Amino acid sequence: MAGFQVWLVRALASVKPVAHVLRTHWGWPTAESLHFIGLSLLVGCIGLFDLRLLGVGKRIPIAALHKLIPWGLLGFGINLVTGLSFLMTEPDQYIYNPSFHFKLLFIVVAGLNASIFYITLYRRTIAPGAPADAPRAAKIVAATSLSLWIGVIVCGRMLTFFRPGPCGPEGPGLLAECIPRRLGR
Amino acid sequence: MHAFLVWLESTAFSVWVRESPSLLAYPAILSCHTIGMGVVAGINGAIGLRILGVGPGVPIAEMKRFIPIMWFGFWLNAASGVALLVAYPTKALTNPMFYLKLGLVALALVLLRSIAARIFHENVLEAPSAARGVKVLAAASLASWAGVITSGRLLAYTYTHLLSNSR
Repeated sequence: MAGFQVWLVRALASVKPVAHVLRTHWGWPTAESLHFIGLSLLVGCIGLFDLRLLGVGKRIPIAALHKLIPWGLLGFGINLVTGLSFLMTEPDQYIYNPSFHFKLLFIVVAGLNASIFYITLYRRTIAPGAPADAPRAAKIVAATSLSLWIGVIVCGRMLTFFRPGPCGPEGPGLLAECIPRRLGR
Repeated sequence: MHAFLVWLESTAFSVWVRESPSLLAYPAILSCHTIGMGVVAGINGAIGLRILGVGPGVPIAEMKRFIPIMWFGFWLNAASGVALLVAYPTKALTNPMFYLKLGLVALALVLLRSIAARIFHENVLEAPSAARGVKVLAAASLASWAGVITSGRLLAYTYTHLLSNSR
């Protein structure tokens, strides 16, 4: 796994043009601003839908509010693109960062959680004539989604405080959480 | 002003937020500020998108149910923002970008007030000309929140003095 991380850092760093743009005076701040705007779009649309499933604004038809979801996905898309640009510019600051590992984990679980909703609950939740109160299972999915996205935000902010330093004499373990000098060569 | 900044930076709370190694100090406050940002800009953004025509089946007046949650995010950010300001008062107060951010927050709140007066109390969207007026306000609101986020983010790159004793 540590070997895979080293390979990944090298592969990401090999995408030179992106890093070139991000290292200009306004590159990184602009990408960061877009990343935060995308975050707000995601929270505002997906988080709002979660709140509706949990019972806020019960007079709003769930199916109607679901039309906001593509805009939340647009926010996610903006963040995927800008996030990848950060990765390609400073790969070792993310790939060896435990906060980034948790951020990715939470994003993947949020995706699985949403898939569970669409596979098992979506049709009966948004069907015409469905009760205004969402099924209990949908509420659990919504609460899980809100918690995971809050977790993603917190891990994103914590990246700065868990920056990897050089590895000690024992070297990286299974998962590198420090910059491995030996493997890096 | 300089004496005030020196004093503020020497208070126990300022030193704690800035220098404590605890994750509950600066990192937690910064996380709260980001979560609040998502809630405030996100809910305002969703209301703006609805006014501009996204989700036409959503009864527009019912969006007011999300307003108390929006205010929760707002006060979370006012409180966490003050804490971040107390930690680094010189950094913010000597940066014109900080005043731009506050001005844009004020503008966005004024816009929210006039949007709320139109969509939560009377059903103006049924009159096409009035609807156009609200749409302009909604577009301006989306732009202001994007401006608040951008100017806030730029605070990390545009400051000239970090602390009162630094250049």
